[in-house]
Amino acid sequence: MTILPPAFHLTTVETRHAVRIEITGDLDYDTADLLLEEATARLSARPGLEDLHLHCAGIGMVDSMGLSILLMIGRRANAARVRLHLDDRPAQLDRLLSITGTLEYFTAQPATGAAATHLDTAESPAAATATERRTRASGPTGPDATT
Amino acid sequence: MVSTRAQAGVGAEPDFPWGRAPYPVLVADAAGVLTQRNEAAQVLLPAACPGAELADVVPGWLASAHRSMCLAGLEGGREPEVPLSGGIEGRRFEAHFSLRGDGTVAWWLVDDTDHQLAREALRMEREQTAFLAAASSTLLSSLNLGRCMDVTAQMAADHLADAVLAIAPARGRRLPVVSCLRGGTPTTSQEVVDPDEVPGLGEALRGFPPVPSRWIDASAAPRWMIPEDFGPIGAIVITPLPGHGVPAGALVLLRKEGSAAFTEEEEVFARLFAARAGAAMSAARLYAEQTAITEVLMRDLLPPVLHQISGVDFAGSYRPSADHERIGGDFYDVHPGVAEGEPSLVALGDVCGKGLEAAVLTGKIRNTLHALLPLADDHQRMLTLLNTALLSSHHTRFATLVLASAARKGNEVRVRLTSAGHPHPLIIRANGTVEEADTRGTLVGALPDISARTTTVTLAPGESCILYTDGITDARGGPLGDVLFGEERLKRALAECAGMPAEGIVEHVQMLASQWLGNRDHDDMAVVAISAPRSHHLSAVDGHTRGRYTA
Repeated sequence: MTILPPAFHLTTVETRHAVRIEITGDLDYDTADLLLEEATARLSARPGLEDLHLHCAGIGMVDSMGLSILLMIGRRANAARVRLHLDDRPAQLDRLLSITGTLEYFTAQPATGAAATHLDTAESPAAATATERRTRASGPTGPDATT
Repeated sequence: MVSTRAQAGVGAEPDFPWGRAPYPVLVADAAGVLTQRNEAAQVLLPAACPGAELADVVPGWLASAHRSMCLAGLEGGREPEVPLSGGIEGRRFEAHFSLRGDGTVAWWLVDDTDHQLAREALRMEREQTAFLAAASSTLLSSLNLGRCMDVTAQMAADHLADAVLAIAPARGRRLPVVSCLRGGTPTTSQEVVDPDEVPGLGEALRGFPPVPSRWIDASAAPRWMIPEDFGPIGAIVITPLPGHGVPAGALVLLRKEGSAAFTEEEEVFARLFAARAGAAMSAARLYAEQTAITEVLMRDLLPPVLHQISGVDFAGSYRPSADHERIGGDFYDVHPGVAEGEPSLVALGDVCGKGLEAAVLTGKIRNTLHALLPLADDHQRMLTLLNTALLSSHHTRFATLVLASAARKGNEVRVRLTSAGHPHPLIIRANGTVEEADTRGTLVGALPDISARTTTVTLAPGESCILYTDGITDARGGPLGDVLFGEERLKRALAECAGMPAEGIVEHVQMLASQWLGNRDHDDMAVVAISAPRSHHLSAVDGHTRGRYTA
């Protein structure tokens, strides 16, 4: 109970067709803007991007501002024809999405055949490492990108 | 003695080597008779010829210094720590002495007029700086316009003039004036006058540079400008009080007839003071205007006081996140039905964000819902229209809310509930069980398409439906300080409220949440209770009109 929540930070992993942003810490009034900036920067930097994965396992509390930012990222991803995935959601986040009626919006993205394969590559650590090494020259972004 | 006089003259004699020294030198004997003087002394004091009585030819201060020096005994004479000084022929001199072997005293006179003037100027400058610093700190410690004007008038009256008027820009046709006599207390009045009738005042109130005092005819001052028992005015200075972009008023300095007129330096200094006073007064005015605007805004945004409507009890309580803000992101409203017995619409919601921005969105939602009241039968339609009204391409600030339409049916109250992304309403049954209302839907204001499912619950007498915002369940506190109050704890607390009146339940929940929080920060917290009162149905007397109820 006395453990301080980990400081908010983001780790971005880029693969050929996908970007994965790992979120650690509370997503709230003070921090949510950082996530929006990062996601927006990735969306605009990669015109050919197909999938944006937000890795949520490390997320602490999400307040209304945090949810608002997730909705904004969803809207921008949609506009850029990028599929947004909220991966490894903790139960608390699922509950928030379910109460607010947004779970369906975040999970029922129009799926195309290609989506599943990209999802697989992004979520398999080995594949991610391999692809990340290939793209490193174009600019690694996270301090511990390979997790 | 005689031989000494015989030697008197001007020149480089062996016992008087200072004939051409640049400083005036006078030599006098113990009897106070001048024996020798040099060229410079001759120029300064032409009457001081050798043989004259010192007291007759030099100013009194020097003669008496010589006398007391001789009385004290020549041996005891030492240079005093502060050199003797005094005026001679309109200039100021320091007098230094030296004892000579023959018992006479040589007085050296050093002109320090310029030094004195510089010292005097420095002292004045320091006094003025100290006064300006004191004025700034006194003026800036208040954000009250009236108090700022009082302080301005009083400080100026004590330092700059015999009487002072601080005049604020006209409000309508009235000119707020604070006047103060030197050493007196400021008095406030409203003058219905035209400032342009006074030369220089209209211009000063419009912020034009000040007119030099000598151009203003003191006798032209109107009666209202002259304090009682002041007598005729000798001189007037009118200086604008410059504000932040707009003039903050004018400062009028008055001197009595017979007092010294205002010098140019004094007028410049008055402007320096006016600059500080004007800044403070305009800050105070801005603050007052902001407070007034906030109050106007808040009057409309404050949650309403609830009561019984058409036989249904309503109670609400709201605690904003910062206690001094009073308004925030949570809201509730109860709109009575068009006719007696028609359902009343309750809306309780939570807007994303904090503070004034959230409060503005809250106001928008409350107004939109008010406009949509004719559609209150169809919650989904209301929510869809509200969602469309709130959608913005710039942001995804959303709101979650619950709509509840409550109407009395006999002893019972029927409540139609629709949640738009909001925590479930809770029903307290008479036996102490607490149920979640089965409604869910999408939040409004962020997504183009939303859906919501309505449910209907029936409350028996003494049963209640509780709407709340997540500020209650997300209250972090408890014995260890980091535990959420949570839905389960809320349900247990509500179970103990079975049969309580609506107001009691609302107060109880807010009290428990506050206790849980202790002094920690919290989000906005709002609770509304809809209760079926334990009341008796009075049947209609003639069988045609609608029945009435007692609480």
